[in-house]
Amino acid sequence: MAADGGSSSSGQPCVFSPKSHQYLALCAQDGRLRIWNTDSKTLHQEYVPSAHLSATCTCISWGPCRTVKEGPQRKKRKSEAIPVEERADFLALGTAAGSVLIYSTLKGALHCTLDGGHNGGVNCVQWHPENGLLYSGSDDTYIVEYDLQMAKRCKWKADRSSVTSMCVSPDGKMLLSAGQTIKMWDLETKEVYRKFTGHSTAVTTLRFATTRPPDSNGLYFLSGAAHDRLLSVWQVRDDGKDKNSVVSFTLTDEPQHIDLVASSGKEEALRLAVVCKDGQLHIFEHFLNGPCKKPLSPTCTVQMSGIEDKPLPIPLLAAALTTNTRSLLLAYGNRLQPVMETVEVNTAERHICLSRDVHSTLSLSMETTISKVKTPVVNSKSKVLLPGVPGHQAPVKTAEGSEKRKKGTDTKEMSIEERLGEIGLSSGKGSTQGVPSLQTDSYAVLLVQGLESKDSNILNKVFQTRKDVLIKKTVSRLPLPAVLPLVEELTKRMQGHPYTAVLMVRWLKAVLMQHTSYLSSLPDLISQLGVLYRMIESRVKMFHKLTKLHGKLYLLMTQVSTSDSNKAVTDVDRTAKLVYEEESSDDDVTGDEGLPDEDSDNWEEEEGMEEELIEDQEDREGAGLRTESKENGDSDMDPGNESEEE
Amino acid sequence: MVEHTGIRVVHRGGSKINFREPIFTNDSRYLLCVSGESVKVYSTSTEECVQDLHGHTDLVTGVVLNPSNHLQAYSCSADGTVRLWDFTDGILIKTFIIGYPIYSIHVSEKHAGVVFVVIRMATEKFSELFQIVAVNLPRSADQDIEARELSAVLCDVSPHPGAASFGRGGEYIASAKGLQLEVYFFKNQKSYRFSLKSGMKKGINNTFTCISCHPKEDCIATGHGDGKIRLWRNFNQKKEYTYSTLHWHHNAVSALRFTPEGTNLLSGGIESVLVLWRYTQENQKNFLPRLGAAITHIAVSPDGSLFCTSHSDNKMTIIQSSVRVSAVIQGLVKSDVLQTDLMIDPGTKALVLNGKPGHLQFYSLQNDKQLYNLDIVQQEYIHQEGLHQFEVVKVAFSTCGDWLATVEERKQKNSELEISLKLWVYDKQIQSFGLNTTITAPHEDQITAMCFSPSSETTLLVTTSLDGYFKAWMLADHSDTKDVASWSCEFVGGYHRLKPGCFCFSADGSLLALVFQEVVTVWSPTSWEMLTTLSQPPGDIRDICFGRLSCSKYLVGTSTRNQLFCWNLLTCSLVWSTPMDVSLLQADPLSENMAAFCCQSGNSDLFVFKPSEPRPLYSKKTLCTGKVQRAIFAPRQQLLESSDEQSQWLNRSQLYFLTQNMDLLTFSTKTEDDRLLASSKQIDMDDSVAVTPFYLLLGKHRQQQKEKQELLAERTQLPQGTIAIKELLHTPAHVLPSASFLCSMFVHSLLISSSSAREEKEPAEEEMESEREEEDSEGEADPIHSRQDLGGSAAWCLVDESGAPALTKAQERELRRVKKVDHSWLSSILDC
Repeated sequence: MAADGGSSSSGQPCVFSPKSHQYLALCAQDGRLRIWNTDSKTLHQEYVPSAHLSATCTCISWGPCRTVKEGPQRKKRKSEAIPVEERADFLALGTAAGSVLIYSTLKGALHCTLDGGHNGGVNCVQWHPENGLLYSGSDDTYIVEYDLQMAKRCKWKADRSSVTSMCVSPDGKMLLSAGQTIKMWDLETKEVYRKFTGHSTAVTTLRFATTRPPDSNGLYFLSGAAHDRLLSVWQVRDDGKDKNSVVSFTLTDEPQHIDLVASSGKEEALRLAVVCKDGQLHIFEHFLNGPCKKPLSPTCTVQMSGIEDKPLPIPLLAAALTTNTRSLLLAYGNRLQPVMETVEVNTAERHICLSRDVHSTLSLSMETTISKVKTPVVNSKSKVLLPGVPGHQAPVKTAEGSEKRKKGTDTKEMSIEERLGEIGLSSGKGSTQGVPSLQTDSYAVLLVQGLESKDSNILNKVFQTRKDVLIKKTVSRLPLPAVLPLVEELTKRMQGHPYTAVLMVRWLKAVLMQHTSYLSSLPDLISQLGVLYRMIESRVKMFHKLTKLHGKLYLLMTQVSTSDSNKAVTDVDRTAKLVYEEESSDDDVTGDEGLPDEDSDNWEEEEGMEEELIEDQEDREGAGLRTESKENGDSDMDPGNESEEE
Repeated sequence: MVEHTGIRVVHRGGSKINFREPIFTNDSRYLLCVSGESVKVYSTSTEECVQDLHGHTDLVTGVVLNPSNHLQAYSCSADGTVRLWDFTDGILIKTFIIGYPIYSIHVSEKHAGVVFVVIRMATEKFSELFQIVAVNLPRSADQDIEARELSAVLCDVSPHPGAASFGRGGEYIASAKGLQLEVYFFKNQKSYRFSLKSGMKKGINNTFTCISCHPKEDCIATGHGDGKIRLWRNFNQKKEYTYSTLHWHHNAVSALRFTPEGTNLLSGGIESVLVLWRYTQENQKNFLPRLGAAITHIAVSPDGSLFCTSHSDNKMTIIQSSVRVSAVIQGLVKSDVLQTDLMIDPGTKALVLNGKPGHLQFYSLQNDKQLYNLDIVQQEYIHQEGLHQFEVVKVAFSTCGDWLATVEERKQKNSELEISLKLWVYDKQIQSFGLNTTITAPHEDQITAMCFSPSSETTLLVTTSLDGYFKAWMLADHSDTKDVASWSCEFVGGYHRLKPGCFCFSADGSLLALVFQEVVTVWSPTSWEMLTTLSQPPGDIRDICFGRLSCSKYLVGTSTRNQLFCWNLLTCSLVWSTPMDVSLLQADPLSENMAAFCCQSGNSDLFVFKPSEPRPLYSKKTLCTGKVQRAIFAPRQQLLESSDEQSQWLNRSQLYFLTQNMDLLTFSTKTEDDRLLASSKQIDMDDSVAVTPFYLLLGKHRQQQKEKQELLAERTQLPQGTIAIKELLHTPAHVLPSASFLCSMFVHSLLISSSSAREEKEPAEEEMESEREEEDSEGEADPIHSRQDLGGSAAWCLVDESGAPALTKAQERELRRVKKVDHSWLSSILDC
C-alpha cells in the first residue's frame, strides 16, 4: 500500500494525491495553490487563499480518497455506471498564521477554515487514514486534533519546542510527532507511548515504513531532519529498547520529498524514493529486519538536466512510486509550472541522468489548459516522402512472380527501336567528325572526370549545356563504365529543383537513346533504374491534373488582371472628374468617358481570344504528348519533362 | 446458459452529456446535465462531476430546477417518471409516476406544483404526434406518487425541448413545429397560431428550429432552418402581429436563448460561433468563434454571469458573460462512425480514438476523463455541412509507445482520394510527439489495416490497402549521415492481385499472417519470403489473430461464412473449427485469452476462450443489443487476484467494447466491486463548520441566539421539574406560609433541578462548545487546557470543566433530601 500523501515542511510544499497520483498539489512562491493533473500534464485548478501573502501555506496534505458514489444500491441492474474510482478530494493546508484550510478539489472551493487551533504557524497537517480526523502540529508546541464530522476539537501539548513533523500510523492508532525528539502517541488515550531521541536538528520528515501493528516488533518508521544528510529508520520494539535508530540511508542533501511503498511483511522490501534539496532523487530498496550498522547508499540516483549547450541541472520537485516497480512519476522544473512525467527507470543502473527540455514543455502545457488540444511538433526536420522520391516505394514482390520484370522488359523492347535510331545517328555522326568533335570529346572527358571525382563544379558546368547535338555527342563518346554513374547522377539531380530537372531530361534522353543496349544487359536493371522509373511514373500521373490546374489558374489570373485593369481605368476616370479646368473641360471629360468603354470592350474580346488560345495550347500539348508517346520509346521521359516545366 | 453473477457489464463513462440543455443552479456554481440514465452535476469552476443522480431506468430526457425550491431539480425520463432530486447531496426526494414516456419537461414560476411534459398524443400507438400536458404534482409524503392528473395544453408540438418556451414568467407558452408557431395564453386560455409561407419552392428552408421567449417583454425569438432569427411581437391577436428578421447564421439556427434580464439574445448553430445580439439594438453583435463544434444547446445562468453551450462533440463550454471561455467539460467524443480502432497508448495507458475532427483523443479510462486531443491533421476545420475534410482513419502505436502512425484521408466525390501516412516519434526531451516522416499517397487506394511489428529489434510498420498490395515501412538508420532517422518503404508485396484484408503479427514479430480474401499467407518479416498459405473455404476471412504466450503456435481466424477456426502453425493444419458468426475477434496481449463477439438475431454474445482449448472460459449471451463495433483489452494498473474460473480472464486486463449506440461498456468482477466498496468510505464533512467570514459572523450570532433559547428553555423547564414547585405555584397565596419561610426551600428546589438538568445536557454542551471554538474567528486561546506535565509523560487534557461533576453529586444528594422534606410539607398543607 502506498503511503498517503504527506506534507513536506521545508520550503514550499508539493504533494501527489494518494493512490492513483492523479494530481499534484503545489504551493509556489506566490502563495497560490496549484493543482496539476499528472495524466494530461495540465494545470487543473488554481486557488488563491484570501490571505495568501500574510498567511502563507506551509504544508499540504491530501485527505483520504473518497468515491463519489456509495455502493449498496447498485446490485441487480444489468449494466450500470461503475462508481468512479477513488478520487482525491479534500486538501488540508496549514498556514503560517496558525489556521488550517480545507479545500475541496472537486468543487474547486474552500470547504472550511479551521481557526483558532494554534497560536503559532502550522508546521504539519496529517489526515487520519480512516476517520475524518485531521491533526496539525504547530510552532506553539501543541498538536490539535480536528474531528471534521463532529466539528470537535481536541488539543494537547506535544513538546517543549515546536512540532515540526507528524505522521499517523497506517492502522490509525498511533501518531508520531517530532520537534527534536520523536514521540509516539496513542491516539485513543492521547498518551505518550514511546520516545525516540537522536536528531540534533528539527525533524522535518516522519514516515511509517511498515504496516504492522506496534506490538509485533515489526513496526518501523523513518525520520529525516533539517541539515541532515541521513534518513534514520527506527524500530518500535516490544521491550522498549529502541533508543537508537536501526538503519540509516545516506543522501546527498536534506530530504525534501519522500514517497515510500511500505512493506507489509518481512519478505517484502521497503521501497523509498527521496528527493533531496539539491534536486536529486535517490531510490532505496531495503528489507527491514533488525539493525544494520553501515549507512545504506541509494540503489539508484536520478538526475535531470537541460538540453542546452551547457546543460544545467533541473531540480526534481517530487517523485512518486507506482504499483509498477519500474516506473516512477516525477515532477520537475519550475515550481510555478512543473512538468510531470512517468519514467521507466532501470534500477539496476546506479546513476541515471535524464535530459529534458523544460522550456518547450512549459509553453505546451499552458495552452492546453482550456482548449485541451495538444499540438505535436511539426518542423522542417521531418521528412516528406512523395511518390517518386526514393523510399516511397520498394520493388513489388508478389507471390505469383514479379510483374515488375515485365515493365523492365518493356523498356528493353522499346530499345530496339532506339537502337535503329541510334545506328542512324551514329552513322551520321561519323561524317561530321571535325573541329566540334574535339570539343565534345573534351566534354565527355570532363564528364567522366566529374563523375569519377564527384566534383559538383565540373558536373554543373557540363550539365548546363542545352544544345541537343552536343549532349548527344558527349553521351555517345562516354565510356560504358561511366554510363551507370551518369544515370545515377542524373536521377539524383532530377529529384531536385524542377528547373535543373528540365536540363537533366535532355541528358537522360540522350543516354537512353545511346546506351539502352548496354543498360538492358545489366543484370540488376530493376534495382538500378527502379527509382528513376517510379519517379517518372508518378510525375506522369500528376501531369494531367497539373495541366488542368494550370488552365484553370491561367483563366482565373487573366480574369483577375482584366478586372484589375478595368478598375485602373475607372480610377483614372475619377481623377479626371476632379480636375477643374475653365474652358476646355467639357471636351476632356467626354474624351475620358469615351475611352474606358472602348478599352473594356477590347479587353473582353481579348479575354475571349485568350481563352481560346489556352484551349488551343492545351490541345496542342495533349496532341504533342500523344504523338510523342507514339513516336518515342522513352515516352515516359517527356511528360515528366513537361510537368517539371509546369 | 448459466448466468454468472460474478461478472457484470457496466457502463464505463463516456456517456453523452450534450443530449439536452444543461441547467445552471441558482448560484451558478453547478451545472446539471442529463447523461444517459442519470443526471450529472458538474462544478462550473473545476469541470469535475460532483454528483451523479441515479434512479431512472431509461434515458433521461430533461432536467429543470424546481421553481419553488432552487436546491431541487426535476428530471423526466422515457421510463415515464418525473423525479425530484436534492442535487447538492444527491438524494432522490420523490418519484412521480406519470405512466407515459416523457420527451421533455418545462416549468415556470407562475405554475407552482405543475410541470409541463411532452408526451405522445395517442398513448397506445407509436404515433409521431406529441402534446404538451400539464401535470399536477400531488402533495404527499410518500416517496412514489402516482400523478395521473393530466390536462393537455397544446397539441401537435415538436418533441424537441428547444421548440417550446415560457414567456414573461409563465403567462404564455410558445411552441413551434414545422412552419407554425403557436402561443397559448394561460390567463384567457386562448391560443393563437401563426404560420410562415413555405419557402421550399425558392429553395429556402424557413421551418422553425428553436424558440426562446423574452423574460420581461412580449417578444418571441424563433430560429429557422435557413439561419434567420425572427423576433415576433404583438402576437396576442390574430391579425396585427409583426416580426423582424435577423440574419447572420448561414446554416440552421440550432439554439436560441435570452439572457435572464432580456438584454441579450444568444444564438448558435453549426458554424460553432456563439452570437450575442443586443436586444433592441440588433445590429450590435458580439461573436465568440472557434468553439470547436456545432452548438446544440445554449444555457444561461440565472444571474446571467455564465453561459453554457453544448456542442455536438459531447462537450459543454462554460463562457463568462464577457464572452470568454472559462471552462470546458469534455466527455468522450463520439462521432457516428468510429474510423480508427480503439487503441491503448502504451505511454499514458489512455484509450485513443477519433476525437475532434482531425484530432486523436486520449481518454483516461481510470478517471473517466478526456486527457487531451492530439492535433494530427493540423488544418483549420471548416464548420460547414457537406464538406469533405481530412479525417484520421487509422492509428497504430508501437509496442513501447515511442512511435505513432496515423493515416488521414479525404474522399471527395469526383476527385481522387487523398491519403497521407504520418509517423510521429515521441520525444522524451520535450515530452511531446513530433512529426518524423510524412508519406503522401502511400497507397493508391484506401488503407485497410496498419500495425507496428511487436519485434523489439526492428521498427517495422505494415500497411495493407485496397489497391492489392501491402507495404512494409522501415525506420532507415542514417547513423553515418547527420540526418535524423526517417522511414522508408522496405517491401511491397501482393498475392495474386487479391485485396489484402486484416493481418496480424505473432507475439515476437517473427511471423506475419496476412489475409487475402479466402487465403491466409504467412510471411517472414525478416526476409520477406512467403512461408506458407492456409485457407479454409468457403467465405472470406474476416479477422485473424495469433495466440499469445503458451498458445503462440496457434492462429485463430474467423470467416464471413460463420466459421471460427484455429490452425496449428507447426503442422500447418487445422486444429479445430466451430460454426459461429463472429463479428469481432480480439486477443488479449497479456494472456492467452481471446474474445469473440458474435452477432445473433440482433443481440451480441461474447465468448472468451483459449486457442488451445476449444471450451470457452466464459460466455455471456445477449451482452447488448446490436453489433459490437470495437473492442479492446486494456491492461490493468493493479492486477486482480481472482481465483474464480469464470473471472480469471479479467485478472490482467479489462475488456472494453463499443456498442452500436457508441456506449463504452466493460466488465466488472465481484472482487473489483468489493474492493471499490471497501475503499469507498466517505468522509462526511460537517457543513456547519465556518465557510466564509460572513458565515462566521452569522454563525456566531446564531450560536448566541441558540444558547439564549436553550437557556430560556431550561428556565421554563425548571419550575416544572419538581412537583413541589408546581404545587407551590398552584396553591392560592392566602393558604401559603410566609414568603421568607418558603424562600430557602424554593431556592433549594431550583438548585436540584438545575443541577440534574446540567447533568443531562453536559455532552451536548461540550460538543456545542467545541463547535463554537472552531467558529471563533478571533482565535481565542483555549482557557481549559489544564495541567501540563513538563516531564512529558501525559500532557493532555480534554476540553471539559474539571472537578465540577463531583461537587454536583454531593449537592444533589443533599438537595434530594430537601426535596423530600419539601414535598411532605406541602402535602400536609394541602391536606388541611
